[in-house]
Amino acid sequence: MSTTATDEITLTRKDFVSDQTVRWCPGCGDYSILAQMQRILPDTGVAKEKTVFISGIGCASRFPYYMNTYGIHSIHGRAPALATGLAIANPDLTIWVITGDGDGLSIGGNHLLHAIRRNVNLNIVLFNNRIYGLTKGQYSPTSRPGTVTKSSPMGSVEQPLNPIAVAMAAEATFVARSIDSHPQHLAATLKRAAEHRGASFLEIYQNCVIFNPNEWTDLSDRKNRDDSILYLEHGKHMIFGKNRDKGIRLNGFTPEVVALDEVDLDEILVHDATSKPLASILGSMEFPDYPAAMGVIRDVRKPDYAGELIGQVETAQAQRGAGDLNQLYLAADLWTVEEREITSVASDGDGMPITGLDEEYIDEMDKPEEVLSDFQDVLVTNTLAELRPKVPITVGKRSSLARTVRQMNQHNIGCMLVTDEENRLVGIFTEWDVLNRVAGLVDDLTQETITDYMTADPLTLKEDLPIAQALNLMSIHGFRHLPLVDDGGQPTGIISFRDVVGYLNEALEEK
Amino acid sequence: MNLQTDLKSEHISHLVVSGFAQVPLGTSVRDTLARMRADRRVVCLVVEEGAAAGAGDGQEEDSRQARLVGIFTERDVMRKVVDVPGMLEKPVDEVMTTDPITIGPDASAADALRLMELNHFRNLPIVDGSGRLLGIMSHQAIIDYLADRYPVEVLNRPIDPERFPRKAEGG
Repeated sequence: MSTTATDEITLTRKDFVSDQTVRWCPGCGDYSILAQMQRILPDTGVAKEKTVFISGIGCASRFPYYMNTYGIHSIHGRAPALATGLAIANPDLTIWVITGDGDGLSIGGNHLLHAIRRNVNLNIVLFNNRIYGLTKGQYSPTSRPGTVTKSSPMGSVEQPLNPIAVAMAAEATFVARSIDSHPQHLAATLKRAAEHRGASFLEIYQNCVIFNPNEWTDLSDRKNRDDSILYLEHGKHMIFGKNRDKGIRLNGFTPEVVALDEVDLDEILVHDATSKPLASILGSMEFPDYPAAMGVIRDVRKPDYAGELIGQVETAQAQRGAGDLNQLYLAADLWTVEEREITSVASDGDGMPITGLDEEYIDEMDKPEEVLSDFQDVLVTNTLAELRPKVPITVGKRSSLARTVRQMNQHNIGCMLVTDEENRLVGIFTEWDVLNRVAGLVDDLTQETITDYMTADPLTLKEDLPIAQALNLMSIHGFRHLPLVDDGGQPTGIISFRDVVGYLNEALEEK
Repeated sequence: MNLQTDLKSEHISHLVVSGFAQVPLGTSVRDTLARMRADRRVVCLVVEEGAAAGAGDGQEEDSRQARLVGIFTERDVMRKVVDVPGMLEKPVDEVMTTDPITIGPDASAADALRLMELNHFRNLPIVDGSGRLLGIMSHQAIIDYLADRYPVEVLNRPIDPERFPRKAEGG
């Protein structure tokens, strides 16, 4: 999609985070997608007032609440239709359509097809978890044959849709795939979708931790995923595998996996994102018969719908002048509808019976989670207090740069916490700030105040949170230090990359 | 099973490691800082260049001929530059750590981590057999590895741990 650059304002991730409580199950893949979306949007240079998120119904469709942009949580399956209207009414907007395998391919399958076919300037993101999650676990249009669910107790007998093939059938100009568990790849692919003008279709393999938790295990498992995923790069050979020792070759019309040491490199397919037949082949490669193709499968430029349509309107207006809607109405046959007495329909006044479904769902949620390993247990149950966080070293917010730097060197620390008069944390100042904003750039360190150089209002954690919460912030944002604070906002400690890795490296060592 | 067993079987070449800035020997500290800022890197590798950069041999050829002679990090900026007058115009050679310890791409992540703990390094240059500079091993790579390895536990967490629905949401 196009980007409307704002010259003056630089946005950060925080600008896109809303104040709403996120209502997804703990462990849901949607969290990862939301975090990456909020992370990449500042880079696209589009003002948040020009950004709209439109969704249908489903777990994924709660997305607009959590983005601090315009958004509509709309009608089941109808997000592409609504978004099409919006794209025509205001072509300056950057519009994201958030949908799922049920909402997008079953309830709204037709709308999705036609929004893609028309090449409306939308970024369509389809979260594919191969299950209906919000309605508690029925098979979806992408569930594999044989999938046992509440609505298919003997296994689904239906042939699933392949979302990439659906998009290709609708002549999509941009088709891509990524997975929630690979944040770097997901962020890069979201960015590519945002850059494309016209309809971008991005399928994200997303984990439903409650109703379909093992669907993507082979692709998300960090140890094996490189053997299961073919990362596509335009102009590069299709080589994959943990040791990059396998490739894709075409045997007639059929792709096949070959060992690289048994064939010439010339025989290995080279990815060409402009080739339609190649995109169809890549879309047809289903895991586990083939590695799952991830990345940008197709990217071509064609005129977008709103641009063409508005062009025709302008041409018509130039030839025949501006239209008059009133005149158009009055030109048709007219008649008057007369009011009649209304007889009201009798109602028994009974509400819906309580089905007990909520309890069933809560039981499902409350089931003791399968503990996969002691290590995972450590991540989610051991608290940050067990890392024995270092006592925080602080300076007052009126301190000079010179004093701050001296203190950091005296205590041999890479990160200083800045506090106000009541010892509440107001900022953080790190070695990177010294390198990035101070060294060689500030002449007299004694004349400058730390508040002008620190990062204000840093993200903080509390000591009773699990270690995984710190890992989450460190991996998503690359924070090397995280301040810990008490309920009053006063710093109680600081933890670093090194503390976390060191602790985890020694955890369970005796076993 | 613990993290160590995991990291023993994981080669460094399978991790997403950090990038680095690069300057030739003799570059002034001021220019080195500018390069690090422009590349947004906390580590700068100082090299002795065999051939002039951009000689048309392709990037791979260039970095093969560039021999690693020193490492200069944000920690050095803190301790040796920011508060020391007259440092900016001096060559980076005077403040870098000479002949840094490196590790090969086939070493295990556990080995790299042990080497880092032993020497109190935060950054370990990765160099292959032909002397090519491949990246910087740091604790970040392990953090990212953990996030990828345990996405359900690590990535898929509420943004604000204080505000979490008491009741599961459902239709």
